[in-house]
Amino acid sequence: MQSSAANLLVLVPLLPLLPLLGAVCTVLLGRRLGPRAHIPAVAGIGAAAVVALLLLLGTATQVGAGHGDPPRPEPVEIISTLWQWATVGDARSGDLPATEAGVPIAPGTAVSGGTFSIPIALRLDPLTATLLMVITGVGLLVAIYSIGYMHDDPGYPRFFALVAIFVFSMSMLVAASNFLLVYVFWEAVGACSYLLIGFWYTKPEAARAAKKAFLVNRVGDFGLAIAVFLLWMTYGTLNFHDTRLADGTFVEGILGQTRIADEAGYVGGAVGTAICLLMLLAACGKSAQMPLHVWLPDAMEGPTPASALIHAATMVTAGIYLITRSAPLFMGCPGALTMVSIVGATTALVAALIATVQNDLKRVLAYSTISQLGYMFVALGTGTMLGFTAAIFHLVTHAFFKALLFLGAGSVMHAMGGVIDMRRFGGLRHVMPITAATFLIGACALAGVPPFAGFFSKDEVLASLHAKAHPDAHGSDHGEAGRQPPETGIDAGGVADRGVRSFRPASMTSRSSTLASRSTGTTDHAATTEKIGLDALDHPSTWRLLFWMSLLTAGLTAFYTFRAVFMTFTGPVRIPKEAGHHAHESPPVMTNPLLVLAALSALSGVVLFFTDALAHFLAATPSLNAPAVLATAVAHAFHPDIAIQGTLAAAIGIAVAAIGHLGRRSDSPQMERYLGPLGALFANKFYFDPIYAALIVKPLEALAMVTAFFDRAIVDGTVDAIGQVPLAWGSAIRRMQSGLVQRYALAGVVGVLAIVLALAWQLRP
Amino acid sequence: MIPATLLTNALLVGAVLFCLGLVGILTRRNLIVMFLSAELMLQGVSVTLVAWSRYHGDWGGQVLVVFVLTVAACEAAVALVFVLQAFARTGRLDASAWQALREENLPRVIDHGLPADDRVVPTWPHLSPAGVLPEGDDSRSLERDHV
Repeated sequence: MQSSAANLLVLVPLLPLLPLLGAVCTVLLGRRLGPRAHIPAVAGIGAAAVVALLLLLGTATQVGAGHGDPPRPEPVEIISTLWQWATVGDARSGDLPATEAGVPIAPGTAVSGGTFSIPIALRLDPLTATLLMVITGVGLLVAIYSIGYMHDDPGYPRFFALVAIFVFSMSMLVAASNFLLVYVFWEAVGACSYLLIGFWYTKPEAARAAKKAFLVNRVGDFGLAIAVFLLWMTYGTLNFHDTRLADGTFVEGILGQTRIADEAGYVGGAVGTAICLLMLLAACGKSAQMPLHVWLPDAMEGPTPASALIHAATMVTAGIYLITRSAPLFMGCPGALTMVSIVGATTALVAALIATVQNDLKRVLAYSTISQLGYMFVALGTGTMLGFTAAIFHLVTHAFFKALLFLGAGSVMHAMGGVIDMRRFGGLRHVMPITAATFLIGACALAGVPPFAGFFSKDEVLASLHAKAHPDAHGSDHGEAGRQPPETGIDAGGVADRGVRSFRPASMTSRSSTLASRSTGTTDHAATTEKIGLDALDHPSTWRLLFWMSLLTAGLTAFYTFRAVFMTFTGPVRIPKEAGHHAHESPPVMTNPLLVLAALSALSGVVLFFTDALAHFLAATPSLNAPAVLATAVAHAFHPDIAIQGTLAAAIGIAVAAIGHLGRRSDSPQMERYLGPLGALFANKFYFDPIYAALIVKPLEALAMVTAFFDRAIVDGTVDAIGQVPLAWGSAIRRMQSGLVQRYALAGVVGVLAIVLALAWQLRP
Repeated sequence: MIPATLLTNALLVGAVLFCLGLVGILTRRNLIVMFLSAELMLQGVSVTLVAWSRYHGDWGGQVLVVFVLTVAACEAAVALVFVLQAFARTGRLDASAWQALREENLPRVIDHGLPADDRVVPTWPHLSPAGVLPEGDDSRSLERDHV
């Protein structure tokens, strides 16, 4: 066990290093390698995928069977500190607002003497290992696919270098054990995204979309920056893990096991809620949630493999990761958690509605991505163990099936000569059978058709919502855990007899007492039964609404997914003239990743759900081992009622799509003509872009014009005027430079005379 | 003569010499005349030095003047070389021929050409040649009619 941990310690830094190496080699040798420029990048990402698999297996062996009922594994955490990046002594001189707010910086321990240091520390825990596997695995498949998709592109080496740098940045983002490092790589993946959206930078739409994505993301990044500042002010460190300094001082990390185990370790109230809401803002930016979702549909201007990898499978899940990682922080602020769900559910519904009328295949998928990310947010916001694991479960399955769908769309686009408007082609299942079959599997997974992956993860998401909406039906366990004294909180839920749960009504008051006992000794804010401000949102009726919104979204998802399938692959064969001789199935280098992803989309859900492996594995993550989260853990169960509701919603959606589109020409009149004015609303994406243009872009442009005028007319004018002065003097004086010796001599004489006269005047008696 | 009077007279001579030289150098365009004017100014200063030297009874000034004379002799040699070279380039001894170092785009200082030489070249009585006629080009006169 020990040697295994030591091996993992070596492997952790190796994983991000390999893609970075691949990227560097591609940059240096790209031109020389020519059409083989993909080799270093693919090799680097492939090696990283192997390392990720080793890490996953290594972490899995570290996770014990756990104890209690339901079994709860001990937290697993491996920290590899590479070096200290920056150390600022005495960074905390001056009094702190946080202490004024009555919040202990680190209960029971001394603060690190105010030293601000940023260790380059990488961590390995189940959450990180899972995400690393997804990132490198999907990254590898997408890179292989790109060999076929991007061939003959003039930017071929550049593309692979960027993908490798992205895999590096994303691995570092999920492996960093420090909020500042997370911020750094949060920006790095944003930069990669920018570069890949604007990959065809000569195309004005692509350049504009890249700029838009970058600027919208800045809003979220601003939130993260402020959140990091507040965390430093509040907790006196930015590390996730506990550290022992050279002088022997023990510093509790923000998400270290000491603090997590400590019931009073986290700040609630205004400060805590502010931190959580700012993190939510950051997550909204990166994960394209309302109101910052506008960049993602436009990001489809980038190459399709980049869309699949970055804007569907991995980078956009960074927000999910951030919130899951910060789960203990959020647990102290039920209002912020509820906001996460509200944002998620609203986004899911709105994006699904918009997706129903899109005619661009990639845009349908883009809105679907926004919608599915909203699903993950909904699950996260429940603040239960089921919710967190469901979100990550959905993240994993979504990464598989959405990458599959995007790559399938790319395959269609490749064959259709760059045409992606679904109205211009149809019946493609005869032309490209493999793409059609794999796309159908992906669509089934996305729509939540049993037994494909999406069905199970969506079921878990809905179940987590249902448990919050109907605490008396599901929530017996956390009610019992709540009644135990906090000191034994970890084991209490497990010891409690589950046999009697149906006889104990866990009403609203018992939930309140849960909260009260959970936060004993922190602030009296959470202890009060009366919830104030945002926290008042955390009410079963809210959750009931969110549940129905999510269910409606599930139906809409099925509808628009199968609308796209029917429009693209059924009906009479129609091929746009741009396709030329390209209209055939894609080469094996592109279809093989599709087949692998199709297999994963079909099977991963069944395997992960029925073995409960992922949930059990994730429960060993330190962040999810917080007593507040553990207290909400329930036994793994299949919920037939929710499954039936979800399947019914999907079936209705598919049926409506079939009525409207199955076997018809895709350019025939569409179902949206029945929508009336709503159709225009959906087609115009709820007018988000015009509203932003009117409220933000136009005023800023006006301000820019004013400042530009000020700059040109006044600042530049002044500078130019000052520049004219010596010129004017010069043109007056230069006439004296006549080249005639005698004039110079005369000037000398006059000068000497002047001096003599001046001296005489001075020395006059 | 009382020393003060001697000093005053000598200083006056020096000043007159200096001013003549100054006027000469500012008004004449002939390089050699300008050089001579410069020498005149130098000598005016030298006279002043000698006068003060006498007045103070300090031989240093007179020693200095001897050095100045020596250096002026060398300097005269060098300056005349320059003058010769300048003449070789332009065929003129006019200082205004040399104004190419003026500021760009400025017009050349318009100067009037030299006044027409309406002097009658006097014919000097000379002895009938005697001895062997030196070999050489008869057409090239060894002396110029005027400078």
